[in-house]
Parts: sequence; C-alpha cells; structure tokens
Amino acid sequence: MLKSKRLLAGPYLFWSVSFVVIPLLVIVYYAFTNDEGGFTFSNLAQITTAENLKALGLSILLSFFSTAVCLILAYPLAMILSQRQVSQTSFTVLIFILPMWMNFLLRTMAWQTLLEKNGVINSILSFLHLPALEIINTPFAIILGMVYNFLPFMVLPIYNVLIKIDPNVLNAARDLGANPVQTFVKVTLPLSIPGVISGITMVFVPALTTFVISDLLGGGKILLIGNVIEQSFKQNSNWHVGSGLSLVLMVFIIASMALVAKYDKEEGGAAF
Amino acid sequence: MSNKLIDFMHISKSYGMQTVLDDLNLYIRENEFLTLLGPSGCGKTTTLRILGGFESPDTGKVIFDGEDITNLPPNKRQLNTVFQKYALFTHMTIAENIAFGLKIKNKSRQYIHDKIKYALKLVNLDGYENRMPDSLSGGQQQRIAIARAIVNEPKVLLLDEPLGALDLKLRQDMQYELIRLKNELGITFLYVTHDQEEALTMSDTIVVMNQGYIQQIGTPEKIYNEPENAFVADFIGESNIISATMVKDRLVKILGVPFPCVDEGFGQNTPVDVVIRPEDIDLLKPGQGSMDGVVTHLIFKGVHYEMEVMANNYEWLVHSTDMFPVGTEVSIHVDPYDIQIMKKPESEDEEAANVEE
Amino acid sequence: MIRKAIQKIYMALIFLLLYAPIVTLIVLSFNQSRTRAKWGGFTLKWYQELFKNEQIMSAFYTTLIIAFLSAAAATLIGTAASVAIQGMKQKWKTFYMGLTNIPMMNAEIVMGVSLMLLFIAFRMTLGFGTILIAHITFNIPYVILSVSPKLRQTSRHTYEAALDLGASPVKAFFKVVFPDIVPGVLSGFMLAFTMSLDDFVITHFTKGPGIDTLSTKIYTEVRKGIKPEIYALSTILFVTVLVLLILVNYSPDKKDEGEEKKRRKAPSRVKGILLRRVIPAAICVVFIGGGIYYASENKIMNSEKVVVYNWGEYIDPEALSMFEEETGIDVVYEEFETNEILYPKVSSGAIAYDAICPSDYMIQRMMENDLLAEINFENIPNIKYIGEDYMEQSRQFDPENKYSVPYCWGTVGILYNKTMVDEPVDSWAILWDEKYKDNILMQDSVRDAFGVALKYLGYSLNSTDLDELTEARDLLIGQKPLVQAYVIDQVRDKMIGNEAAIGVIYSGEAIYTQKENPDLEYVVPKEGSNIWIDSWVIPKNAENKENAEKFINFLCRPDIALMNFEYITYSTPNTAAREMIEDESVRNSEIAFPDLSSLPELETFQYLGQKADEVYGELWNQVKSS
Repeated sequence: MLKSKRLLAGPYLFWSVSFVVIPLLVIVYYAFTNDEGGFTFSNLAQITTAENLKALGLSILLSFFSTAVCLILAYPLAMILSQRQVSQTSFTVLIFILPMWMNFLLRTMAWQTLLEKNGVINSILSFLHLPALEIINTPFAIILGMVYNFLPFMVLPIYNVLIKIDPNVLNAARDLGANPVQTFVKVTLPLSIPGVISGITMVFVPALTTFVISDLLGGGKILLIGNVIEQSFKQNSNWHVGSGLSLVLMVFIIASMALVAKYDKEEGGAAF
Repeated sequence: MSNKLIDFMHISKSYGMQTVLDDLNLYIRENEFLTLLGPSGCGKTTTLRILGGFESPDTGKVIFDGEDITNLPPNKRQLNTVFQKYALFTHMTIAENIAFGLKIKNKSRQYIHDKIKYALKLVNLDGYENRMPDSLSGGQQQRIAIARAIVNEPKVLLLDEPLGALDLKLRQDMQYELIRLKNELGITFLYVTHDQEEALTMSDTIVVMNQGYIQQIGTPEKIYNEPENAFVADFIGESNIISATMVKDRLVKILGVPFPCVDEGFGQNTPVDVVIRPEDIDLLKPGQGSMDGVVTHLIFKGVHYEMEVMANNYEWLVHSTDMFPVGTEVSIHVDPYDIQIMKKPESEDEEAANVEE
Repeated sequence: MIRKAIQKIYMALIFLLLYAPIVTLIVLSFNQSRTRAKWGGFTLKWYQELFKNEQIMSAFYTTLIIAFLSAAAATLIGTAASVAIQGMKQKWKTFYMGLTNIPMMNAEIVMGVSLMLLFIAFRMTLGFGTILIAHITFNIPYVILSVSPKLRQTSRHTYEAALDLGASPVKAFFKVVFPDIVPGVLSGFMLAFTMSLDDFVITHFTKGPGIDTLSTKIYTEVRKGIKPEIYALSTILFVTVLVLLILVNYSPDKKDEGEEKKRRKAPSRVKGILLRRVIPAAICVVFIGGGIYYASENKIMNSEKVVVYNWGEYIDPEALSMFEEETGIDVVYEEFETNEILYPKVSSGAIAYDAICPSDYMIQRMMENDLLAEINFENIPNIKYIGEDYMEQSRQFDPENKYSVPYCWGTVGILYNKTMVDEPVDSWAILWDEKYKDNILMQDSVRDAFGVALKYLGYSLNSTDLDELTEARDLLIGQKPLVQAYVIDQVRDKMIGNEAAIGVIYSGEAIYTQKENPDLEYVVPKEGSNIWIDSWVIPKNAENKENAEKFINFLCRPDIALMNFEYITYSTPNTAAREMIEDESVRNSEIAFPDLSSLPELETFQYLGQKADEVYGELWNQVKSS
C-alpha cells in the first residue's frame, strides 16, 4: 500500500528531471564548450570583461537597494495587516493575485506614463507647484519598477510568519516588563526572521536577474546582467557565452542563498 | 485572611454586540489562591486579561494594592502571567526565556544567573538552561513558563488554563506542584480553569462564573456541598438536580414524595430545584426508604459502584460502595441535611447549563 | 486613534503604489488617441475594435488555454506528488522539497534559457507545446507548496480509520483525505493559473513563430507603442476578476472564518460552493470553450499556410485577413524588432519561416550565408508595379534582383520639436549639443547608432576601419550622458508626447508623428545618412515557398500596397500605389517620397562580415554599459 502511494511521485520525478535538472545540465554543457564542441573556460571568463562586470555589479547594487526598500516598506505593512482582522485569503488576493491579471509588462510600462517628464506624476506635481520628479530612464526608475513588481513577494512571507506568532507570546513579553519597542526588537523581529529571509530571497533573485524592467524603465541606457544574457541568446545568438554567464549567475545566486539560509530555520517562512 | 490586594469594581466588557462581563465586582486577598471557574465564554479569561492589562474594560476600575491600574500598560504592572499553551519564546534558550523579564529590568548578570538556577530548581528542571523550548515536553514547557513568571517576584501570578494541554497524570502532578509553589513563594494566585476538579483541589476560594456573571463565590467545600443554583450544582461534580416544590419550611416535595430537609425561608409551595449528590443517596430494601425503584445500570468505578435507579419516572444517579445488581428492587433514602434546596435559576442560565453537556 | 490613522494612511499609500499603474492602464483604455502620450478624449471604440482584432484575441486565447492546461496538469502532477511525499521518510522528503525549490529559487531567465536549449537540443519545434511544457514545469512547485501544508494538517488517523472501515486506499483517499485538501488544491490551481497568465520571461524564451501569449505580444508592441485594444482587454480581464473575487470573498457567510467550521449550515454551504466553485468553473469553461472554438474556427486545422516574420506594426492586419480569405491560406504571423534579432532565428533553422522582411544589409548577409532561396518571379507578376528606381537601389545588396522584393523604404534622419529647438537643424551635430541634455532620443540598434556617429565624423557608415569605429564609439560614449533614452519605435510616442526635443527616426515614422503633433519637423542632415530598403525574401528552409510567393505577390498589388502605406506610413516603392494616394500633400510629400537627387549623400547599409559584426557588437556593448 505504502509502495503504491510512493509511485504517485513518479510523474513529478520524471518531469522534474526532464525539464528542470537536464536543462540545467545542458546549460552547463554549453557553458563549457565552444562552437566546435571543444572544452573551454572562455565562456565563464566572459564575466570578467569590463562591460559584463559592470552589468553584474550594477545588477547587484540595484537589486540590493530594491530588496532593502521592499523590506522597509513591506515589514510595517505586514505588521499592520497581521494585526487587523483581514482574512488571509482576501489579503493575498488583493495584494498578490489581483494585480497579476493586469499583465506584468503593461503594469511596468504604465510607470513610463506615470513617470515621464510630462507624465501623470509630474503633471500633478507641477499643478501643486512642486519640483518635477525626473527619474525616468535612470537607475531610480528601475529600482522603483523592481520594488513595485516584487513588493508582494516580500509582504507575503513576512505576513505569513507574523500571523502565526501566538499573540500570547507578545503578551508574555509585555507581561514580563518589555515595552512595545522592546517587545518588537526582542520577540517579534527575531520570530519573523524566517519570513524576512524568504522574502529577501524572493525579491533579490528576480531583481538580480530581470531584463524586462531595465528594458522598460531604463531607456535602454542601463544594461543589467539579465539584459546581457538575454541579448546573447536573442540577439547575438551566442549561446555558449550566454550559458556561461547564466551558469555564473546561477552559482552566484546559490552561493548567496546558501549564505542567507545559514540564518534560516527550516520551513519557517514558506511563502504560500 | 489578610486585606484586599486586588479589587475589580463594576467591570463591564463587551465585544461588539456580545457582552462578556456585566458589572463584575470581585476582590482578591493577599496570599489567596483564587480560581475563576466556568465554561468557555463565561468571561473568566477576559477578567484575567483585564487584570494582566491585555484588555481594558469598557467601564469600571481595577484597583491593585490601593492603586488604580486600569489604564496601566502590562509592562508596568507588578504581576505576571502564565499563558495558555505556555507562550514561550521559541527563538530563545530556556535560560534566556527565564532571564527575559530580569534583563528588561537591567538586573546584574550574577543576579540573573542565580535566579535562573533557583527557578529551575523550584520547578524541578535543573540543568535545562541551554535547551530550546521546542525540545521540551508539554509539562516541562509549562513549568518553564511558570519559572519565567515567578523569577520576577510578582505580587500576583495569573494562570490562564495552564494545565489544559497536559494529560491527566501530568495534570495531577502539576496541581500538587502548584500548591507547593504557592506555599513556598507565598504569593497570590489567580487561576483560571474550566476544570472543576482542578479548582476544587487547589483553590482557597472558587468563583463560579457563567455568561459574564458571578454565580457563586466560596470555599471549595461550600461550592461543592451547597451550590446556590442549578448551574453551579450541575457544573460542579455529578448531581441529581430535580425540580421540586417547597411545601413549607423544612419540607420539600420531590417527584411527588415529601422529604424532610433543613432549609427554611423559601415560602410555601414555592417551585425550587433540589440538588442531591449521588454519594448522599442510601439504597435500602424496598419499602424502607422514601421512594421505591429498580436498578437499571451498574458500573464498577474503582472506589465505588455507580448505579442508576429508576424511581417515580426519574433516573437517580447513585454512588455506593455496596453493589446492587441490575434488576434489584431498592428504596431510596436521603438524609435531610444532604438535600440542597436552590432557587429556580434565571432562564438563560439554565440554557447555558444545557449547552455544556 | 492617531496610530490607527497612521496605519490607514500607510496602507493607502502602499495600495496606491500597487494600483496606480493599473488605474493608469484602465484610463488609457478609454483614450481616444492611439498613442499613450496624449489624452484625446473619452471613447469606447477600443472595446469594439478589440473583438475584431484577431491577433490580440488569438494571443489572449492562447494565453488562457496555456494557463488552463498548464495549471490543470500541474495540479494533477503536483497533488499526486504531494500525497506521495507526505508519506515518505524524512530523507526523501528533503530530496523532493529540494527538487521543488529549484524552479522557485532559480532565476526565471536561467530557467527559460535552459528549457530553450533543451528543446532545441532535442529538436523540438518551439511553439505551443514547448510553452506548455515550460509552464507546467514552473507551475508544479506552486501546487506542491499549496497542497503540502494542507496535507500536513490532515490527520493520518482519519485515513487509517477509513481503511479500517473497509475502504480501499484509493477510496479512502478520495473520501477522507481529498475533501480536506481541496482548498489547497484549488488555491494551487488558481495560483498556477495566474502565474502562467502573467509569465513573460519563460514564454519569451520557449515560444516559436506564429504563437504569442498576451505577454509576448505586448513585449513586441512595447517598442512600437501598445495597441489600445490591449488596454481594453486588460481592463475587461481585471474588472471581471475583481468582481468575481468580491463575490467569492465578501459573501456574507464567509465573514468569520473561524466560526465557519463550527457551525456549518447546509444552505450557506451550498451557496459557498456555488460562489467558490461553480462560478469560477463556469467562467473557466466560457474562456476555454471560447478559446477552443476560436482556435478551431481560425487556425491550426488548415494545412495550407504561410509562416511570415515581419517587423512590428508593419502590415495592415486587414490585409492579412483579406489574403486568407482570397487564397484560403492561413497566415502564421510573427513580429521582430531588429534585424539582429531576426538573423539568428533564421540561421539556426530552428524555425522554418516562409516569408521574412529584413533590411538591405541583412539580406546581403543571408545571401552570403546561403540562407535564401531564389524567388520564382513567374509567381509574382505584380513585381511590375515596383518602381525601377527601387529595383536599381536593391542591386546594392541583391545584384541580380533574384532574391528580394522591395516592400518599404526610407531614410534615417532627425525629428525635432520646433518649439524646443530654436536653431535651424541641418547637422548630426545637434545630437551632441549639451543644450539638449536629456532631450535626445537615440536609436537602440547597433548599425543605426554607429551609422549616425560615422556619418557625423565624415566616414562611410559601412566602415570597418577599427580606428574610425573606435572614434565613433568614443563619440557615442560621450553622447550617452546627453541621451534621454535608447529606443526603437518608441521615438514616435515620445516625440508626440513632447517628451524629448530631438530624436533619430525613420522617415516613415516622421509622417505619422507630424500628423499627431504639428510641431515636429523631419530633416536629413547634411553630412549624409542611411537610405534603407526592407524587402521580402524567402529563406531556403521555407516549407511553403509557393504560398510565400503568393503572399508577396499579393502585397505588391497596388490596392494592398496602398492600404499598407496608409497603415504603416512608410514610403512604398510601389509606384502604382503612390499614384492612387488621394491626398496630394501626401502623394507629393518631401518626407515620404523625396527626390533622391536633392538629398545629401545617402548610403545603404551593407553586410560587413561576421568579424566586423562582432567588432560592432563589442563596441556597442561598450557604449551601452559605459
């Protein structure tokens, strides 16, 4: 009986191996070969060219900032929401599912309309006689786009951890003499770390690797590592170099996640 | 006993349309072990949380040691709470948990260290300093929660159904443990439970509550032997609660049969409830008692036999050390002082009593 | 009180951030003007146009079908896997959870790329199937992560109790365990559906010709300016889902969920099921049914087809339907943004296009690499309508006029806003004028950008001299701080919206922008510029060569050429069509049909060889990342 139950995982195992594991191996293969099929490190070495290093550096910088901004914005929101009697589903829907029915590219592109020199925001600002906001086509617009797109991925895991905290644990801290600030610092915050960590992961990785947001809001002036990889596949048709860069990126992500996960406790902050 | 330490004055509290406490007045004396007993939703936990500072009353005041603490935040109150399901800080070791309140108060390292040692010894868990709460059993976690509270030397320890999550054997052990602690520490305990046995075992005073009202306040013996109404009688222990008529002073008619009793002052031909504890019923040979009947059920309970006797269309619950097999014809006898007469309760209480079954 | 107020304000601000773009898009769907840069008054016409626009509707249904199928498959596989994993030993659980986490943690782009490489390595044709596989792959983890927590909550004992009472394992599962995890399964399905719907990156890499989801369709259009019909469609979708969710979530019987379990009453349960299951299911059925109906009506079934790969917004959709109607041949239509994107798709042979429309130098490159088939001009009698001048021009890259049929042509020049630029514009130099910092739009393609710089420096725009190119690169790097954005077709919208003073643009676009914004003026700088011709060619690996020829012949018909000219506003080499233009100012427009001899020296791009291409690419990367 138990045996047959285990067979149910068969299709999934097959699928995962075929379409997750093997494709990654294909990338590895391409990364280490050249056009003639010979073994080479030169694709990996591409990351060390000045342009690619700069793109990678900029990607890291921007995704770091947007992750930080997301965290700063999301934590209070998650706290407020977790204290209110909002049902979890309707909250998830409102913040996460619903916006997705408006296509992600359109939503991001709408920021152009909002941010442009003569865009909506600046029209409002000039109406109020305030100085214009000139961030379109700059790294700030990209950070904004990242924060906008990935904020829900930060709110959700933090929220999910916060609502699981027994209110009596917080009461206990108050009861033992901690004021609200001490309670937050000594109890709420440490208990929510797993959520924060999975939030960071879920924002940092897509922000680091995006090429669409920089494409749409950076005015083509800002090249991120995602753009470099996308171009090497879609425009320059240099799959080997693209694979090499992808591999480097993947290793970088795994390494930074491993670093972050050291502080994470198991399963605590699943997002869903 | 000594003077009032805590005084609840005209406390009311409601959530939306639902009234949880209605003009509650209650005082607690120093060194008393006072238990709030009642079914869930009776307002006992709300009372405790108001004292702890986690809820504020809609009206009324809470006086603590002569001071009005109604609007004081929890961290400024000289009392500590042991929560339902313990509420330990899972991200801290046992020692850190216990030290929490002391660190907030900036006590010295040495002091904290000593206190942890002392508290762990007190709850019989020496050597557990560096364990994490998750690795402890329920009973152990409970004792840590108590240790965490008492190291702060509160004047009052509030306990919110602290034994609810434990199994029977452990619960009994913990009851003795709590009595011992109370005696050693000499502080006031406010204990909340829905378990009547717990209340009877440990308390100096029991407050029976239902639907936001206090039903009866008294010593365990008094509550058990002389319940003031059917709700209390039904809630505390097993009873035969029967509608009856008070014919005149010292005579009550139960199921059409007159019984002599000791109560006076109910007037004449007044409808009342009578409570007769199963162990207070003597079974005699047919014709020798007040009312004849037949044994319909018999169960061996260890200390005694539990029987049901059908007499005058009522199933009497009887506890006896003598065994009467099913089908035996018997006669029921009750001594006058074992009959407890009560006023008819207000209708809503009756409903509440039924809900609990 | 103050605290509550601050909390409310904070929440409001965050929701403003999250919903501002959505509101913007909804507003745009009612905008009379085609460009998003201008509010032209309220209209509902895009909602009517939407249902006539086959491309958008088919992209929409493709999106829905893929979302539905991938979510359904993922739910099946994922739920089964969750059940199995639940019963496993810890070691295996960890293994499977790790496996689940790979797609969750991995970068989307890496996943998309890896799947693309896999499909190509195994010679799978990129298309519907590959997108579906990719979507199922990234959806399964969402289902597992939704179902597993529910499974963990269900008691093992109830399952065993069911077995004890004589149920078979399968029956026990469906009678006892499954009802408990239904909410998890459903929310997993919904999540997967939504994720699939919103995905762009992975679809971008795994899709093939002739198939578009909404995302990829929008991505192609972003560069051109989004069709307002798409806003309309998105608004309809969004509002539908919003209403649905309000019905489901705020139905009165669901308010206190905690109580719900305790006091489940039959009538409210029926209502709940109705609201939560039946209605969404009905909507799904409508969508999917419509999609399948639509698909069978229009596509897929017909074996006669022609696969066309054209520039974005480079044909009147009406012309496509006319062709399909007249010939019975289905047009599988896909769009590209630059020649550089087109080339690898054709050269890799992964996709067999029948008719493509590259520019001059790219045609030359394809010829040199033996990628093109000779056109059988007997099948294209309408070639006679193409002006001799243009056939002559074509010889620069197609010396014997054997491979290509001219479709559109034009020059590259400067579009400027007369209200923002005071001085006369006649030189590329203005693109390096500090005065116009942040007011300059440059072309985001290698050859066009370098062409401008090389011409300004007085070199040929086909230069392969490294020193000249380095000089041009440095010039472009120096210009970068002045540039507001590197764009392709967006120059149009931005210039219309007065977002910039000066832009490098194709002459064809200039005609349209002038119509929308009379302040704009177009000029070909005195240093000379590029003249280009986009022509139809047939790749060697075309599977429907005759259909392609029929298609090209159709496009050369004067009435069709006229239709296309009016739609895309790029100069047509079809002299018969030009004669038919009614508006005299257009027929004799200096911009649309300049007298070639009066213009400064114009050069056609040539293919410079792979080596030079790489040099250009390298130098351009240095500009972009500087």
